[in-house]
Amino acid sequence: MNQSPKIPLYKSIRDNSKEATLIVVFIVITLLLTLLTKGKFLSSANLVSMAFQLPEFGFIALGMMVVVLTGGINLSVINTAAMSSIFGALIISKVFNQGAGNATVALIGGLIGITVVALLGGALNGLAVAHFGVAPMLVTISTMMIFEGVGLLITKGGAISGFPSNYMWIGAGKILGIPFPMILYILAVIAFVILLEHTVWGRQVYMVGCNPTATYFSGVNNRSVLMRVYLLSAACGIFAAVLISSRYNSAKVDYGSSYLMKSIVATVLGGTDINGGYGKVIGTVTAVLIIQAISSGLNLLNVNRFLTDVIMGGLLLVVLAINFISMVISARRNKQQAAAKAV
Amino acid sequence: MESEYFLRVRNVSKTFPSVKALDNVSFSVKKGEVHALIGENGAGKSTLIKVLAGVYEPDPGAHIEIEGEVIGKLNPITSVRHGISIIFQDFSLFANLTVAENIAMSSSLQQGSTLVDWKDMRQVARKAIDYLGVDIPLDSRLGNLSIAKQQLVAIARSLASSAKLIIMDEPTSALSKGEVDLLFKIIRNLQADGIAVVFVSHKLEELFEVCETFTVLRDGKFIGDYPAKDMDNNKLIALMVGRSVSYDRLEAKAIGDTILEVQSLTKAGNFKDISFQLHRGEILGITGLVGSGRTEMVHALFGLNKPDSGTILLNGSPVDFSTPSDAVAAGIAFVPENRALEGLVLRQNMRDNITLAVLNQLTNSLKLIDQKRLQAEASKWISEINVRPAVPDMLAGQFSGGNAQRIVIGKWLATHPKILIIDEPTNGIDVGAKAEIHRLMRQLADDGMAVIMISSELPEVLAISDRVLVMRRGRINGEFTGSQINSEAIMNKAFLADNKVG
Amino acid sequence: MKEWMKTKEFMILMIVSVVFLIISIGNPTAFLNTGNIFDIVKSNLVLAIAAMGMLPIILTGGIDVSVGALMGVASVMSAYFMIHVSDNIALGFLAGALTGVVLGAINGAFIAFMKMPPIVATLGTLSIYQGLMNFITNGNWITNIPAGFVEFGKQYLFDLVPIQFIFLIVMVTLTWWLLKYTYWGRGVFAIGGNIISAERIGFNVKKLQFMLYMFIGFVSGIAGVVRTSIFGQVDPKVFTGFELKVIGAVVVGGASTSGGYGSVLGTLLGVVLMGLLENGMILLKIPTFWQKIFIGSVILFAVTADILRARRAEAKRVKVDVA
Repeated sequence: MNQSPKIPLYKSIRDNSKEATLIVVFIVITLLLTLLTKGKFLSSANLVSMAFQLPEFGFIALGMMVVVLTGGINLSVINTAAMSSIFGALIISKVFNQGAGNATVALIGGLIGITVVALLGGALNGLAVAHFGVAPMLVTISTMMIFEGVGLLITKGGAISGFPSNYMWIGAGKILGIPFPMILYILAVIAFVILLEHTVWGRQVYMVGCNPTATYFSGVNNRSVLMRVYLLSAACGIFAAVLISSRYNSAKVDYGSSYLMKSIVATVLGGTDINGGYGKVIGTVTAVLIIQAISSGLNLLNVNRFLTDVIMGGLLLVVLAINFISMVISARRNKQQAAAKAV
Repeated sequence: MESEYFLRVRNVSKTFPSVKALDNVSFSVKKGEVHALIGENGAGKSTLIKVLAGVYEPDPGAHIEIEGEVIGKLNPITSVRHGISIIFQDFSLFANLTVAENIAMSSSLQQGSTLVDWKDMRQVARKAIDYLGVDIPLDSRLGNLSIAKQQLVAIARSLASSAKLIIMDEPTSALSKGEVDLLFKIIRNLQADGIAVVFVSHKLEELFEVCETFTVLRDGKFIGDYPAKDMDNNKLIALMVGRSVSYDRLEAKAIGDTILEVQSLTKAGNFKDISFQLHRGEILGITGLVGSGRTEMVHALFGLNKPDSGTILLNGSPVDFSTPSDAVAAGIAFVPENRALEGLVLRQNMRDNITLAVLNQLTNSLKLIDQKRLQAEASKWISEINVRPAVPDMLAGQFSGGNAQRIVIGKWLATHPKILIIDEPTNGIDVGAKAEIHRLMRQLADDGMAVIMISSELPEVLAISDRVLVMRRGRINGEFTGSQINSEAIMNKAFLADNKVG
Repeated sequence: MKEWMKTKEFMILMIVSVVFLIISIGNPTAFLNTGNIFDIVKSNLVLAIAAMGMLPIILTGGIDVSVGALMGVASVMSAYFMIHVSDNIALGFLAGALTGVVLGAINGAFIAFMKMPPIVATLGTLSIYQGLMNFITNGNWITNIPAGFVEFGKQYLFDLVPIQFIFLIVMVTLTWWLLKYTYWGRGVFAIGGNIISAERIGFNVKKLQFMLYMFIGFVSGIAGVVRTSIFGQVDPKVFTGFELKVIGAVVVGGASTSGGYGSVLGTLLGVVLMGLLENGMILLKIPTFWQKIFIGSVILFAVTADILRARRAEAKRVKVDVA
């Protein structure tokens, strides 16, 4: 019996009901915020501002999601980005400011520096998790400290600034009216969808997240799969590093620290199972939109920035609680069905 | 009138989703009796003792009587309170706690206070240890003790809970001769104090040393109680084995040349001196009791359990597998015993499970998965293995035992293996579906594959094996070909060391 | 070799001694005087107290990363209480402790009853507690602590020992006693050793876990107020990231992250080691920026060693009784 590859639209929506619900939630929140801010939310100034800010957060969320898919968590994702941006800034400032060098050379040098350092950080995580089998939470809690320390070592707690205008353009420029960061993000999202849903590695990521033993017993090289997961997570950090440092025109150890919690919320809210094995890129992206909207909206409403943290943490717990309750309900329903069948 | 029986159970049945583990079993133990509970793998022994321990709830209608009192429901705590104490093979102790705590914790907890009375606990533990007459320091961490001593601690714990019936599951599997003697001495002392002991074991020689009565289970049914003095090895084996169910004998079409040769494969604590050959077109059955090392040995052929020494020759050339992917690349496939944990990814659908081992071959020129080819490949094998319902989107966990097994087989068929290793092929599959799996295996072998089948089910081994290896305690204890293959001979080799036949 | 010499605690003691020696050689005058030693004690008191609360959590295989924020909130609440309600010192501590218990209970409810993974649940509450604290204080320091409390904090016993040391002794003793002499404590070890067996022999695992998080809340609350007493003011931001140091001290002190193994002594040694490393780096003129790298590496090393040890033990385990 062959299944036709063309699936009707309604079935597609039903299979993706979690993600569809999220889109609805996003629309609802947008409307709500527009009402509350008396239209300011949808002003072009705000939309453009969100479009510039969202991508760096979006990259971090993607970097977190891919690790959670395997049943782990990457607490070092922000500090990987910060550390690499600091290295990049160091190279740029040495070449450009002190070396009286070419802006383009500085830019390329900086980007290469960021890439190499981020991937090294990812490799460290991958080595500990994939090869030694240490719990991801413990590994990334330590590397989080190490990377922060490396960053502090170089910046001595301060900031490295002074970027050439070509670098600053990355975070502030537009192409055809669309902010460049957003273009990068959209491309990245497409790349992620392709990687996770259309490559062998992607398929293996989901399988490892669901049941690493059965996957290993089926001849899959779990170590290689996991190493690439952590490298990809670090790669997301590269983009976040570039965008943040470009926007701030400087690199500092604690830039982006609020994104850690938000990225976990985005991952969980986006429907990714915290234990691994399930999660869609579109879900995470929608969750990123929702969280960005809430952040910006609260900002427009002059809500204290600290309360936003509270709301984010609360949101995470509420989502987890809802997941728990729905799990209990469906387990109860399965029991009833099984009992009914046995009769 | 006080009964001479401590425990009497009747009408005990236990049905699981795909199999009836116990079918109307009766079991009685007299006070102070040393009683053996025997049967083949899957006969129901483990299920029965779990029911007595309160871990499993029996089907409605079970009659349980302890010291003349009819008991309604049992759970782990009430079972202990009634005097039943079970020592499972893993002892269920805490390696990180001290001997004294392991012995006395459970009974102390029952007293309900918040504060720990160490003096009391030590007294209880001391009493139990002294009773056993062994020298074990109360303050040692359990994990630091030898297995034999840990077992003694487990027994001490039963004593501390005032057990009147101690059930031991495979107690001597990790003990030396001297330690076994000590254990038996202790059991005789327990007996003298009116404490009954039930032994679940495969070691018939040992059982004859201490047990007065043998209860035989077969296929979940109670066969009978037999006084030890009327029995010998052969009689017991015949009772354990004799059956009415059998499968059609499927003969090989043609047996080809040697594809795999194993020479003196050895791994400490796993298997020793394993040597055999495997031919194309043949089904090699490997049987033996649980704990004989079959799975461990076969894992070594699949890159899951690297041997210490020995050679594996594939088509004449030595191979060295570090991971399963090495073995798969060499053309070996492995259908594991534990389907849910090792064989399938239950939360993913059939299509993704069945293509899991061949994903790399289903890519297009851009190295992306070619969805059309994936669907086609999945469909091909889904129909090849005849799984029902043939819905690729259905989650693997939603299929029945027999069909789930087909999915695993299908996954491996997609790799076009030359050797298929299958561990307990019909585990958790109902009788009707078993024969179909046998036919499938026979057909695969007839098409040229070499099949290694580990099975604890004698009828199955008899039905489709062209040759049989019997493993016992990590070694190959017997090899049978063709007409030599019969139940009694095999069971003899499974239970008894070479020089103990008769 | 005697059995106690084989323990993890002994090994850590050896490492501590080595570090001690290295620093003594590197900068003997600055290091080896009682003033410095007690400075080390004072600056790590709070860490040691907090580590006492974290130990039982790690013993059960759990984790709590909201500790820093919790300490912050407790110290703020205690300060406000003393400023606006009553400047009674004992009540001030009580206010901090109660705050900790309540916040800890919230964590416990999520983890024990709603089965949320501890890391995620406490990350969530971390945000909430931190956000609330920042919102209430607006990031500002609280400097108008009642004089009585400030004076109390400056007391020394025998002109040497800071008064806060008493709190340390009390907390260490309390933790040790609870772990050794109550069924709650033994239950913690049992759960860490074999959670299924623990349930089977009658431990109420859910209730135990819930109380576990209340305990760390209580201890952390006290730790927060102790800090206030040392410095005479509250800096809401100072506890950010503190939980990492606490977890680090416990892990370095020999507690296994999979649960079941660990001790009060080991944890104290872990704190000492962390404290010595920090002090040593200052005295040996190693820039402070190396500290985080160091501590992070030490934790990474400790958890990796732990896993490798467990793997080796499993590989050696006898699976078949070979004839």
